[in-house]
Amino acid sequence: MSCSDLDAGQHPLLERVEVLANERVAEGVGLLVLRSPRIAAAVAPGQFVHLRIAAGADFLLRRPFSVYRAHGDTIELLYQVLGRGTRELADHMRGDVMDAIGPLGRGWDVPEDAAHVLLVAGGLGAAPLGMLAERLAARGVAVSVAQGAPCAERLVARDLFESVARRVEVATDDGSAGEPGFVTVVSHRLLVTDRPDVVCVCGPEVMARAVAAQAAEAGVPCRVSLERLMACGIGACLSCVVTTVDGRKRACVDGPVFDAEEVCWDGAEAPPRH
Amino acid sequence: MEQRRPRVTSVDLSVEFAGVRLRNPVMTASGTFASGREYADFIDLSRLGAVVTKGVSLEPWTGNESPRVAETASGMLNSIGLQNPGVEAFCARDLRWLSERDVPVVVNVSGHSPEEYARVVERLESEAGVAAYEVNISCPNVDEGGMAFGTSCAPAAAVTAAVRAVTKRPLIVKLSPNVTDITEIARAVEDAGADAVSLVNTLLGMAIDAETRRPRLARVVGGLSGPAIKPVALRMVWQVARAVAVPVIGVGGIMTGEDAVEFLLAGASAVQVGTANFVDPTSTMRVLDGLTEYCVRHGVARVSDLIGALEV
Repeated sequence: MSCSDLDAGQHPLLERVEVLANERVAEGVGLLVLRSPRIAAAVAPGQFVHLRIAAGADFLLRRPFSVYRAHGDTIELLYQVLGRGTRELADHMRGDVMDAIGPLGRGWDVPEDAAHVLLVAGGLGAAPLGMLAERLAARGVAVSVAQGAPCAERLVARDLFESVARRVEVATDDGSAGEPGFVTVVSHRLLVTDRPDVVCVCGPEVMARAVAAQAAEAGVPCRVSLERLMACGIGACLSCVVTTVDGRKRACVDGPVFDAEEVCWDGAEAPPRH
Repeated sequence: MEQRRPRVTSVDLSVEFAGVRLRNPVMTASGTFASGREYADFIDLSRLGAVVTKGVSLEPWTGNESPRVAETASGMLNSIGLQNPGVEAFCARDLRWLSERDVPVVVNVSGHSPEEYARVVERLESEAGVAAYEVNISCPNVDEGGMAFGTSCAPAAAVTAAVRAVTKRPLIVKLSPNVTDITEIARAVEDAGADAVSLVNTLLGMAIDAETRRPRLARVVGGLSGPAIKPVALRMVWQVARAVAVPVIGVGGIMTGEDAVEFLLAGASAVQVGTANFVDPTSTMRVLDGLTEYCVRHGVARVSDLIGALEV
Protein backbone atom coordinates (compact mmCIF):
# COMPACT_ATOMS: atom_id res chain seq x y z
CA MET A 1 0.00 0.00 0.00
CA SER A 2 2.12 2.81 -1.25
CA CYS A 3 -0.50 5.42 -0.55
CA SER A 4 1.32 8.10 -2.48
CA ASP A 5 0.77 6.02 -5.61
CA LEU A 6 -2.92 5.90 -4.87
CA ASP A 7 -2.94 9.65 -4.44
CA ALA A 8 -1.20 10.40 -7.72
CA GLY A 9 -3.60 12.09 -10.09
CA GLN A 10 -6.42 11.94 -7.58
CA HIS A 11 -8.97 14.73 -7.82
CA PRO A 12 -10.78 15.90 -4.70
CA LEU A 13 -14.56 15.63 -4.65
CA LEU A 14 -17.17 18.00 -3.28
CA GLU A 15 -19.83 15.83 -1.67
CA ARG A 16 -22.98 16.38 0.38
CA VAL A 17 -22.56 14.12 3.40
CA GLU A 18 -25.23 12.98 5.84
CA VAL A 19 -24.68 12.37 9.54
CA LEU A 20 -25.54 8.73 10.34
CA ALA A 21 -24.30 8.90 13.92
CA ASN A 22 -22.49 11.34 16.17
CA GLU A 23 -21.59 9.89 19.52
CA ARG A 24 -19.36 10.74 22.44
CA VAL A 25 -16.67 8.11 22.78
CA ALA A 26 -14.69 9.71 25.59
CA GLU A 27 -14.55 12.94 27.56
CA GLY A 28 -14.41 15.66 24.90
CA VAL A 29 -14.04 13.20 22.02
CA GLY A 30 -16.69 12.44 19.40
CA LEU A 31 -17.06 9.88 16.64
CA LEU A 32 -18.88 11.13 13.57
CA VAL A 33 -20.21 8.60 11.06
CA LEU A 34 -21.04 10.11 7.69
CA ARG A 35 -22.73 8.71 4.61
CA SER A 36 -20.23 9.78 1.98
CA PRO A 37 -20.13 7.15 -0.78
CA ARG A 38 -17.84 8.89 -3.24
CA ILE A 39 -15.23 9.96 -0.71
CA ALA A 40 -15.46 6.61 1.10
CA ALA A 41 -14.65 4.80 -2.15
CA ALA A 42 -11.65 6.98 -2.93
CA VAL A 43 -10.00 7.72 0.41
CA ALA A 44 -6.63 6.24 1.37
CA PRO A 45 -5.28 5.92 4.93
CA GLY A 46 -3.91 9.23 6.22
CA GLN A 47 -6.01 11.41 3.95
CA PHE A 48 -8.52 13.90 5.30
CA VAL A 49 -11.81 15.60 4.53
CA HIS A 50 -12.49 19.33 4.78
CA LEU A 51 -15.89 19.76 6.41
CA ARG A 52 -18.15 22.77 6.25
CA ILE A 53 -19.64 22.50 9.69
CA ALA A 54 -22.54 24.89 9.09
CA ALA A 55 -23.87 27.06 6.28
CA GLY A 56 -23.73 30.82 6.68
CA ALA A 57 -20.96 33.02 7.99
CA ASP A 58 -20.88 31.88 11.63
CA PHE A 59 -18.43 29.07 10.89
CA LEU A 60 -16.91 30.52 7.77
CA LEU A 61 -13.94 28.24 7.36
CA ARG A 62 -14.03 24.51 6.85
CA ARG A 63 -12.34 22.21 9.37
CA PRO A 64 -10.01 19.41 8.34
CA PHE A 65 -10.50 15.95 9.87
CA SER A 66 -8.50 12.79 9.22
CA VAL A 67 -10.58 9.89 8.04
CA TYR A 68 -10.48 7.36 10.86
CA ARG A 69 -12.23 4.51 9.02
CA ALA A 70 -13.95 4.03 5.66
CA HIS A 71 -16.30 1.14 4.95
CA GLY A 72 -18.81 0.82 2.13
CA ASP A 73 -20.68 4.12 1.85
CA THR A 74 -19.46 5.57 5.14
CA ILE A 75 -16.53 7.40 6.56
CA GLU A 76 -15.84 7.86 10.27
CA LEU A 77 -14.12 10.84 11.83
CA LEU A 78 -12.79 11.16 15.37
CA TYR A 79 -12.72 14.68 16.71
CA GLN A 80 -11.76 16.43 19.91
CA VAL A 81 -13.97 19.25 21.12
CA LEU A 82 -11.41 22.04 21.38
CA GLY A 83 -12.88 25.17 19.86
CA ARG A 84 -16.13 26.69 18.70
CA GLY A 85 -16.22 24.71 15.46
CA THR A 86 -15.84 21.34 17.11
CA ARG A 87 -18.37 22.34 19.79
CA GLU A 88 -20.83 23.02 16.98
CA LEU A 89 -19.93 19.73 15.33
CA ALA A 90 -20.68 17.88 18.56
CA ASP A 91 -24.28 19.14 18.36
CA HIS A 92 -24.90 17.67 14.92
CA MET A 93 -27.61 15.03 14.85
CA ARG A 94 -28.40 12.01 12.74
CA GLY A 95 -29.85 13.23 9.44
CA ASP A 96 -28.00 16.56 9.40
CA VAL A 97 -26.29 17.34 6.11
CA MET A 98 -22.95 19.07 5.60
CA ASP A 99 -20.67 19.40 2.67
CA ALA A 100 -17.24 17.85 2.51
CA ILE A 101 -14.27 18.14 0.21
CA GLY A 102 -12.16 15.02 0.01
CA PRO A 103 -10.23 12.90 -0.06
CA LEU A 104 -7.44 15.42 0.44
CA GLY A 105 -3.72 15.25 1.01
CA ARG A 106 -1.02 12.66 0.74
CA GLY A 107 -1.63 9.71 3.01
CA TRP A 108 0.73 7.21 4.63
CA ASP A 109 3.48 6.06 2.34
CA VAL A 110 4.24 2.51 3.47
CA PRO A 111 6.52 0.60 1.08
CA GLU A 112 5.04 -2.50 -0.56
CA ASP A 113 7.72 -4.72 0.97
CA ALA A 114 7.19 -3.61 4.58
CA ALA A 115 6.43 -6.68 6.72
CA HIS A 116 6.13 -4.99 10.12
CA VAL A 117 4.86 -1.48 10.78
CA LEU A 118 4.83 0.34 14.12
CA LEU A 119 2.07 2.88 14.63
CA VAL A 120 2.59 5.49 17.33
CA ALA A 121 -0.54 7.37 18.37
CA GLY A 122 -0.75 10.22 20.84
CA GLY A 123 -4.24 11.30 21.91
CA LEU A 124 -6.40 12.07 18.86
CA GLY A 125 -3.38 11.19 16.75
CA ALA A 126 -4.99 7.76 16.68
CA ALA A 127 -7.50 9.07 14.13
CA PRO A 128 -5.47 8.85 10.91
CA LEU A 129 -3.93 5.55 12.05
CA GLY A 130 -7.15 3.54 12.41
CA MET A 131 -7.74 2.95 8.74
CA LEU A 132 -4.04 2.34 8.19
CA ALA A 133 -4.00 -0.38 10.85
CA GLU A 134 -7.01 -2.10 9.26
CA ARG A 135 -5.67 -1.97 5.72
CA LEU A 136 -2.17 -3.07 6.68
CA ALA A 137 -3.49 -6.01 8.69
CA ALA A 138 -5.79 -7.00 5.81
CA ARG A 139 -2.70 -7.08 3.60
CA GLY A 140 -0.94 -9.42 6.02
CA VAL A 141 1.44 -6.83 7.40
CA ALA A 142 2.30 -7.23 11.08
CA VAL A 143 1.10 -4.15 12.96
CA SER A 144 2.38 -3.00 16.35
CA VAL A 145 0.85 -0.05 18.14
CA ALA A 146 2.24 2.26 20.80
CA GLN A 147 -0.60 4.41 22.08
CA GLY A 148 -0.67 7.19 24.62
CA ALA A 149 -3.39 9.38 26.12
CA PRO A 150 -4.08 11.40 29.26
CA CYS A 151 -6.15 8.55 30.77
CA ALA A 152 -7.58 5.12 29.90
CA GLU A 153 -10.88 6.52 28.65
CA ARG A 154 -9.08 8.72 26.12
CA LEU A 155 -7.28 5.78 24.48
CA VAL A 156 -9.59 6.21 21.49
CA ALA A 157 -9.44 3.55 18.80
CA ARG A 158 -7.84 1.11 21.24
CA ASP A 159 -10.45 -1.55 20.43
CA LEU A 160 -9.76 -1.21 16.73
CA PHE A 161 -6.02 -1.45 17.28
CA GLU A 162 -6.39 -4.51 19.52
CA SER A 163 -8.58 -6.26 16.94
CA VAL A 164 -6.05 -5.96 14.12
CA ALA A 165 -2.62 -5.43 15.63
CA ARG A 166 -0.16 -8.08 16.70
CA ARG A 167 0.55 -6.11 19.85
CA VAL A 168 -0.75 -2.92 21.42
CA GLU A 169 1.14 -1.26 24.27
CA VAL A 170 -0.22 1.82 25.98
CA ALA A 171 0.86 4.59 28.30
CA THR A 172 -1.31 7.10 30.13
CA ASP A 173 -0.40 10.31 31.90
CA ASP A 174 -2.33 9.25 35.02
CA GLY A 175 -1.38 5.58 34.90
CA SER A 176 -5.02 4.45 34.55
CA ALA A 177 -3.97 2.11 31.74
CA GLY A 178 -0.60 0.69 30.75
CA GLU A 179 2.50 2.47 31.85
CA PRO A 180 2.31 5.80 33.60
CA GLY A 181 3.92 8.49 31.48
CA PHE A 182 4.37 9.35 27.85
CA VAL A 183 3.95 7.09 24.86
CA THR A 184 7.52 7.85 23.88
CA VAL A 185 8.71 5.37 26.52
CA VAL A 186 6.66 2.63 24.84
CA SER A 187 7.62 3.62 21.30
CA HIS A 188 11.29 3.59 22.21
CA ARG A 189 11.06 0.11 23.71
CA LEU A 190 9.18 -1.27 20.70
CA LEU A 191 11.63 0.31 18.25
CA VAL A 192 14.55 -1.33 20.04
CA THR A 193 13.09 -4.73 20.98
CA ASP A 194 10.72 -5.39 18.08
CA ARG A 195 12.24 -3.48 15.21
CA PRO A 196 9.67 -2.46 12.55
CA ASP A 197 10.37 -1.71 8.88
CA VAL A 198 8.55 1.63 9.11
CA VAL A 199 7.15 3.84 11.89
CA CYS A 200 3.99 5.90 11.31
CA VAL A 201 3.37 8.62 13.89
CA CYS A 202 0.58 11.03 14.68
CA GLY A 203 0.08 13.06 17.82
CA PRO A 204 1.16 16.29 19.45
CA GLU A 205 4.07 17.74 17.53
CA VAL A 206 6.52 17.50 20.44
CA MET A 207 5.69 13.78 20.67
CA ALA A 208 6.00 13.23 16.92
CA ARG A 209 9.33 14.97 16.99
CA ALA A 210 10.58 12.78 19.85
CA VAL A 211 9.48 9.58 18.10
CA ALA A 212 11.08 10.78 14.85
CA ALA A 213 14.36 11.17 16.75
CA GLN A 214 14.01 7.66 18.23
CA ALA A 215 13.35 6.23 14.77
CA ALA A 216 16.31 8.07 13.28
CA GLU A 217 18.55 6.69 16.02
CA ALA A 218 17.25 3.18 15.38
CA GLY A 219 17.69 3.63 11.64
CA VAL A 220 14.01 3.01 10.93
CA PRO A 221 12.18 5.12 8.29
CA CYS A 222 9.58 7.34 9.93
CA ARG A 223 6.46 9.06 8.60
CA VAL A 224 4.64 11.75 10.54
CA SER A 225 1.17 13.17 10.04
CA LEU A 226 1.17 16.88 10.94
CA GLU A 227 -1.74 19.14 11.80
CA ARG A 228 -2.06 22.78 10.80
CA LEU A 229 -4.81 25.35 10.73
CA MET A 230 -5.87 25.66 7.14
CA ALA A 231 -8.33 27.65 5.08
CA CYS A 232 -8.83 26.21 1.59
CA GLY A 233 -7.51 22.66 2.14
CA ILE A 234 -6.72 22.28 -1.56
CA GLY A 235 -3.33 23.95 -1.83
CA ALA A 236 -4.22 27.50 -2.77
CA CYS A 237 -4.08 29.68 0.34
CA LEU A 238 -0.71 28.71 1.85
CA SER A 239 -2.09 28.86 5.40
CA CYS A 240 -0.98 25.39 6.49
CA VAL A 241 2.71 25.42 5.70
CA VAL A 242 5.23 23.05 7.24
CA THR A 243 8.89 24.03 7.19
CA THR A 244 10.91 21.31 5.49
CA VAL A 245 14.46 20.90 4.23
CA ASP A 246 13.04 21.79 0.79
CA GLY A 247 11.36 24.97 2.01
CA ARG A 248 7.82 25.55 3.18
CA LYS A 249 5.37 22.91 2.01
CA ARG A 250 1.60 22.76 2.29
CA ALA A 251 0.22 20.29 4.84
CA CYS A 252 -2.99 19.99 2.80
CA VAL A 253 -1.53 18.74 -0.48
CA ASP A 254 2.16 17.99 0.14
CA GLY A 255 1.18 16.37 3.48
CA PRO A 256 -0.35 15.90 5.97
CA VAL A 257 1.97 12.89 6.04
CA PHE A 258 5.63 13.81 5.66
CA ASP A 259 8.84 11.86 5.79
CA ALA A 260 10.16 12.74 9.25
CA GLU A 261 13.61 13.43 7.83
CA GLU A 262 12.33 16.27 5.66
CA VAL A 263 10.62 18.12 8.54
CA CYS A 264 12.43 21.00 10.24
CA TRP A 265 11.20 20.59 13.78
CA ASP A 266 12.38 23.86 15.30
CA GLY A 267 9.42 25.80 16.53
CA ALA A 268 7.16 22.76 16.81
CA GLU A 269 3.58 23.92 16.70
CA ALA A 270 1.12 24.07 19.53
CA PRO A 271 -1.99 22.10 18.58
CA PRO A 272 -4.54 24.07 16.56
CA ARG A 273 -7.73 24.87 18.44
CA HIS A 274 -10.56 24.72 15.96
CA MET B 1 -41.70 49.68 -11.06
CA GLU B 2 -42.92 47.01 -13.47
CA GLN B 3 -42.43 48.99 -16.67
CA ARG B 4 -38.76 49.29 -15.80
CA ARG B 5 -38.37 45.52 -15.92
CA PRO B 6 -38.69 44.36 -19.52
CA ARG B 7 -38.53 40.60 -20.09
CA VAL B 8 -34.94 39.55 -20.65
CA THR B 9 -34.14 36.26 -22.30
CA SER B 10 -30.39 36.61 -22.45
CA VAL B 11 -28.13 38.81 -20.38
CA ASP B 12 -25.05 40.46 -21.82
CA LEU B 13 -22.62 39.84 -18.98
CA SER B 14 -19.58 41.37 -20.62
CA VAL B 15 -17.86 44.36 -19.12
CA GLU B 16 -15.00 46.44 -20.38
CA PHE B 17 -12.51 48.31 -18.28
CA ALA B 18 -9.04 49.66 -18.87
CA GLY B 19 -9.18 48.36 -22.42
CA VAL B 20 -9.79 44.78 -21.30
CA ARG B 21 -13.02 43.10 -22.36
CA LEU B 22 -14.17 40.44 -19.90
CA ARG B 23 -16.87 37.90 -20.67
CA ASN B 24 -18.32 38.68 -17.27
CA PRO B 25 -17.37 40.83 -14.27
CA VAL B 26 -16.50 37.98 -11.89
CA MET B 27 -12.78 37.74 -11.19
CA THR B 28 -10.84 36.00 -8.45
CA ALA B 29 -9.11 37.95 -5.69
CA SER B 30 -5.35 37.65 -5.46
CA GLY B 31 -4.03 35.18 -2.93
CA THR B 32 -7.23 33.19 -2.65
CA PHE B 33 -7.00 31.31 -5.92
CA ALA B 34 -3.25 30.56 -6.32
CA SER B 35 -2.87 30.39 -10.09
CA GLY B 36 -6.13 28.56 -10.60
CA ARG B 37 -4.77 25.04 -10.91
CA GLU B 38 -6.17 23.90 -7.54
CA TYR B 39 -9.64 25.13 -8.50
CA ALA B 40 -9.74 23.48 -11.91
CA ASP B 41 -10.91 20.31 -10.11
CA PHE B 42 -14.08 22.16 -9.10
CA ILE B 43 -14.91 24.76 -11.74
CA ASP B 44 -14.42 25.54 -15.43
CA LEU B 45 -11.88 28.37 -15.29
CA SER B 46 -12.92 29.61 -18.73
CA ARG B 47 -16.25 30.73 -17.25
CA LEU B 48 -14.46 33.34 -15.11
CA GLY B 49 -14.17 36.98 -16.11
CA ALA B 50 -10.49 36.79 -15.20
CA VAL B 51 -8.09 35.00 -12.90
CA VAL B 52 -6.04 37.29 -10.69
CA THR B 53 -2.97 35.38 -9.59
CA LYS B 54 -1.31 35.16 -6.20
CA GLY B 55 1.16 38.02 -5.74
CA VAL B 56 4.49 37.46 -7.45
CA SER B 57 7.78 39.10 -6.51
CA LEU B 58 11.21 39.32 -8.10
CA GLU B 59 12.82 36.73 -5.82
CA PRO B 60 11.14 33.89 -3.90
CA TRP B 61 9.50 35.04 -0.65
CA THR B 62 9.11 32.51 2.18
CA GLY B 63 6.21 34.22 3.94
CA ASN B 64 5.45 34.31 7.66
CA GLU B 65 5.54 31.77 10.47
CA SER B 66 2.49 29.61 11.34
CA PRO B 67 -0.25 29.90 12.43
CA ARG B 68 -1.09 32.06 9.46
CA VAL B 69 -4.87 31.96 9.63
CA ALA B 70 -7.62 32.47 12.20
CA GLU B 71 -11.38 32.42 11.88
CA THR B 72 -13.20 35.45 13.27
CA ALA B 73 -16.84 36.51 13.38
CA SER B 74 -18.11 36.31 9.78
CA GLY B 75 -14.56 36.50 8.53
CA MET B 76 -10.99 35.39 8.81
CA LEU B 77 -7.55 36.79 9.44
CA ASN B 78 -4.57 35.76 7.39
CA SER B 79 -0.89 36.54 7.62
CA ILE B 80 0.56 34.49 4.77
CA GLY B 81 3.10 37.19 3.97
CA LEU B 82 3.13 36.91 0.16
CA GLN B 83 4.89 33.55 0.06
CA ASN B 84 5.64 32.92 -3.61
CA PRO B 85 8.33 31.23 -5.68
CA GLY B 86 9.44 34.40 -7.51
CA VAL B 87 8.68 35.60 -11.00
CA GLU B 88 10.89 33.12 -12.88
CA ALA B 89 9.27 30.07 -11.30
CA PHE B 90 5.88 31.73 -11.65
CA CYS B 91 6.35 32.16 -15.40
CA ALA B 92 7.59 28.61 -15.87
CA ARG B 93 5.09 26.78 -13.67
CA ASP B 94 1.99 28.88 -13.27
CA LEU B 95 1.69 31.37 -16.11
CA ARG B 96 2.40 28.77 -18.81
CA TRP B 97 -0.32 26.53 -17.41
CA LEU B 98 -2.80 29.34 -16.90
CA SER B 99 -2.28 30.91 -20.32
CA GLU B 100 -3.57 27.70 -21.91
CA ARG B 101 -6.89 27.93 -20.05
CA ASP B 102 -8.88 30.40 -22.19
CA VAL B 103 -9.30 32.96 -19.41
CA PRO B 104 -7.77 36.44 -19.11
CA VAL B 105 -4.88 36.43 -16.64
CA VAL B 106 -4.22 39.37 -14.35
CA VAL B 107 -0.84 39.01 -12.65
CA ASN B 108 -0.65 40.49 -9.17
CA VAL B 109 2.76 42.05 -8.48
CA SER B 110 4.61 42.77 -5.22
CA GLY B 111 7.95 44.31 -4.35
CA HIS B 112 10.12 45.93 -1.71
CA SER B 113 10.69 49.11 -3.72
CA PRO B 114 9.21 50.85 -6.77
CA GLU B 115 12.17 49.57 -8.81
CA GLU B 116 11.50 46.00 -7.70
CA TYR B 117 7.85 46.18 -8.76
CA ALA B 118 9.01 47.50 -12.12
CA ARG B 119 11.54 44.71 -12.55
CA VAL B 120 8.87 42.05 -11.95
CA VAL B 121 6.67 43.68 -14.59
CA GLU B 122 9.61 43.99 -16.99
CA ARG B 123 10.18 40.27 -16.69
CA LEU B 124 6.48 39.59 -17.33
CA GLU B 125 6.41 41.86 -20.39
CA SER B 126 8.05 39.11 -22.43
CA GLU B 127 5.26 36.67 -21.55
CA ALA B 128 2.33 36.55 -23.93
CA GLY B 129 -0.40 35.37 -21.58
CA VAL B 130 -0.82 38.49 -19.42
CA ALA B 131 -4.01 40.54 -19.89
CA ALA B 132 -3.25 43.08 -17.16
CA TYR B 133 -1.24 43.72 -14.02
CA GLU B 134 -2.59 44.31 -10.57
CA VAL B 135 -0.05 46.12 -8.41
CA ASN B 136 -0.34 45.21 -4.74
CA ILE B 137 0.43 48.24 -2.57
CA SER B 138 -1.86 47.04 0.18
CA CYS B 139 -0.71 43.75 1.73
CA PRO B 140 -0.74 44.23 5.53
CA ASN B 141 1.37 41.13 6.17
CA VAL B 142 4.87 42.19 5.16
CA ASP B 143 7.23 44.58 6.92
CA GLU B 144 8.60 46.19 3.77
CA GLY B 145 6.67 46.96 0.66
CA GLY B 146 3.05 45.95 0.60
CA MET B 147 0.85 48.26 2.60
CA ALA B 148 3.73 50.64 3.36
CA PHE B 149 3.34 51.89 -0.22
CA GLY B 150 -0.42 52.05 -0.11
CA THR B 151 -1.15 54.18 2.93
CA SER B 152 0.18 57.50 1.73
CA CYS B 153 -0.05 59.23 -1.61
CA ALA B 154 3.57 59.79 -2.61
CA PRO B 155 4.79 56.16 -2.29
CA ALA B 156 1.58 54.88 -3.91
CA ALA B 157 2.17 57.18 -6.85
CA ALA B 158 5.86 56.25 -7.00
CA VAL B 159 5.14 52.53 -7.35
CA THR B 160 2.42 53.19 -9.92
CA ALA B 161 4.67 55.48 -11.97
CA ALA B 162 7.58 53.01 -11.85
CA VAL B 163 5.41 50.23 -13.23
CA ARG B 164 3.66 52.56 -15.69
CA ALA B 165 7.05 53.43 -17.15
CA VAL B 166 7.77 49.83 -18.18
CA THR B 167 4.42 48.63 -19.55
CA LYS B 168 1.63 49.64 -21.86
CA ARG B 169 -0.53 46.80 -20.61
CA PRO B 170 -3.54 47.70 -18.47
CA LEU B 171 -2.43 48.57 -14.95
CA ILE B 172 -4.68 48.01 -11.95
CA VAL B 173 -3.56 49.25 -8.53
CA LYS B 174 -4.98 47.44 -5.50
CA LEU B 175 -5.74 49.79 -2.64
CA SER B 176 -5.59 49.38 1.11
CA PRO B 177 -8.59 50.17 3.31
CA ASN B 178 -6.23 50.95 6.20
CA VAL B 179 -6.20 54.67 5.45
CA THR B 180 -8.03 57.78 6.58
CA ASP B 181 -9.23 58.78 3.12
CA ILE B 182 -9.00 56.16 0.40
CA THR B 183 -10.06 58.63 -2.30
CA GLU B 184 -6.77 60.54 -1.89
CA ILE B 185 -4.76 57.40 -2.61
CA ALA B 186 -7.04 56.53 -5.52
CA ARG B 187 -6.52 59.95 -7.07
CA ALA B 188 -2.77 59.74 -6.54
CA VAL B 189 -2.44 56.43 -8.39
CA GLU B 190 -4.82 57.61 -11.12
CA ASP B 191 -2.63 60.68 -11.66
CA ALA B 192 0.46 58.42 -11.73
CA GLY B 193 -0.96 56.38 -14.60
CA ALA B 194 -3.16 53.62 -13.18
CA ASP B 195 -5.81 52.39 -15.63
CA ALA B 196 -8.03 51.03 -12.86
CA VAL B 197 -8.11 50.55 -9.10
CA SER B 198 -9.21 47.49 -7.16
CA LEU B 199 -10.37 47.73 -3.58
CA VAL B 200 -10.28 46.76 -0.86
CA ASN B 201 -7.40 44.62 0.30
CA THR B 202 -7.74 43.21 3.82
CA LEU B 203 -8.28 45.31 6.93
CA LEU B 204 -5.52 45.08 9.50
CA GLY B 205 -6.80 43.18 12.52
CA MET B 206 -5.89 40.72 15.24
CA ALA B 207 -7.34 37.85 17.24
CA ILE B 208 -6.42 36.64 20.71
CA ASP B 209 -6.89 33.25 22.37
CA ALA B 210 -7.99 34.21 25.88
CA GLU B 211 -7.35 30.65 27.17
CA THR B 212 -3.67 30.78 26.30
CA ARG B 213 -3.27 34.59 26.40
CA ARG B 214 -1.56 34.33 23.04
CA PRO B 215 -2.29 35.91 19.66
CA ARG B 216 -3.93 33.50 17.23
CA LEU B 217 -1.53 34.50 14.46
CA ALA B 218 2.22 34.00 14.77
CA ARG B 219 2.75 37.49 13.37
CA VAL B 220 0.19 38.81 15.89
CA VAL B 221 -1.63 40.98 13.34
CA GLY B 222 -3.09 40.03 9.99
CA GLY B 223 -5.54 40.93 7.27
CA LEU B 224 -9.27 40.62 7.89
CA SER B 225 -11.43 39.41 5.00
CA GLY B 226 -14.80 37.80 4.38
CA PRO B 227 -18.39 38.98 4.87
CA ALA B 228 -17.36 40.98 7.95
CA ILE B 229 -15.65 43.60 5.78
CA LYS B 230 -18.27 43.91 3.02
CA PRO B 231 -19.93 47.06 4.36
CA VAL B 232 -16.55 48.79 4.62
CA ALA B 233 -15.58 47.69 1.11
CA LEU B 234 -18.90 48.82 -0.35
CA ARG B 235 -18.55 52.22 1.26
CA MET B 236 -15.03 52.67 -0.10
CA VAL B 237 -15.96 51.50 -3.61
CA TRP B 238 -18.82 53.99 -3.60
CA GLN B 239 -16.51 56.81 -2.45
CA VAL B 240 -13.72 56.01 -4.91
CA ALA B 241 -16.05 55.51 -7.88
CA ARG B 242 -17.21 59.09 -7.40
CA ALA B 243 -13.68 60.42 -6.92
CA VAL B 244 -11.81 59.00 -9.92
CA ALA B 245 -12.47 58.64 -13.64
CA VAL B 246 -10.80 55.23 -14.00
CA PRO B 247 -12.81 52.04 -13.46
CA VAL B 248 -13.10 50.51 -10.00
CA ILE B 249 -12.99 46.79 -9.22
CA GLY B 250 -14.91 45.90 -6.07
CA VAL B 251 -13.62 43.31 -3.62
CA GLY B 252 -14.41 42.49 -0.01
CA GLY B 253 -16.63 39.75 1.38
CA ILE B 254 -18.46 38.83 -1.82
CA MET B 255 -20.13 35.45 -1.28
CA THR B 256 -23.22 35.60 -3.52
CA GLY B 257 -24.50 37.06 -6.76
CA GLU B 258 -26.43 39.62 -4.77
CA ASP B 259 -23.22 40.77 -3.09
CA ALA B 260 -21.70 41.26 -6.55
CA VAL B 261 -24.75 43.28 -7.64
CA GLU B 262 -24.31 45.55 -4.64
CA PHE B 263 -20.71 46.33 -5.61
CA LEU B 264 -21.72 47.06 -9.22
CA LEU B 265 -24.48 49.37 -8.01
CA ALA B 266 -21.95 51.16 -5.79
CA GLY B 267 -19.88 51.88 -8.87
CA ALA B 268 -17.63 48.87 -9.48
CA SER B 269 -17.10 47.76 -13.10
CA ALA B 270 -16.07 44.27 -12.02
CA VAL B 271 -15.76 42.30 -8.81
CA GLN B 272 -13.30 39.91 -7.22
CA VAL B 273 -14.29 36.89 -5.15
CA GLY B 274 -11.75 36.03 -2.46
CA THR B 275 -12.37 34.40 0.90
CA ALA B 276 -15.49 32.70 -0.50
CA ASN B 277 -13.18 30.44 -2.53
CA PHE B 278 -11.94 28.92 0.74
CA VAL B 279 -15.45 28.33 2.00
CA ASP B 280 -16.69 26.78 -1.23
CA PRO B 281 -14.34 26.22 -4.17
CA THR B 282 -17.27 26.73 -6.56
CA SER B 283 -18.10 30.18 -5.11
CA THR B 284 -17.11 32.11 -8.23
CA MET B 285 -19.62 30.10 -10.27
CA ARG B 286 -22.35 30.63 -7.69
CA VAL B 287 -21.67 34.37 -7.75
CA LEU B 288 -21.80 34.38 -11.55
CA ASP B 289 -25.01 32.35 -11.66
CA GLY B 290 -26.59 34.52 -8.98
CA LEU B 291 -25.64 37.69 -10.83
CA THR B 292 -27.15 36.35 -14.05
CA GLU B 293 -30.29 35.28 -12.26
CA TYR B 294 -30.60 38.75 -10.71
CA CYS B 295 -30.35 40.38 -14.13
CA VAL B 296 -33.03 38.10 -15.56
CA ARG B 297 -35.30 38.72 -12.59
CA HIS B 298 -34.85 42.49 -12.83
CA GLY B 299 -34.99 42.79 -16.60
CA VAL B 300 -31.39 43.95 -16.87
CA ALA B 301 -30.24 43.22 -20.43
CA ARG B 302 -26.63 44.31 -19.91
CA VAL B 303 -24.85 43.76 -16.63
CA SER B 304 -22.89 46.94 -17.33
CA ASP B 305 -26.16 48.84 -16.86
CA LEU B 306 -25.85 48.06 -13.15
CA ILE B 307 -22.54 49.88 -12.77
CA GLY B 308 -23.07 52.89 -10.57
CA ALA B 309 -26.85 52.50 -10.81
CA LEU B 310 -27.36 52.99 -7.09
CA GLU B 311 -30.47 55.05 -6.46
CA VAL B 312 -29.67 57.33 -3.55
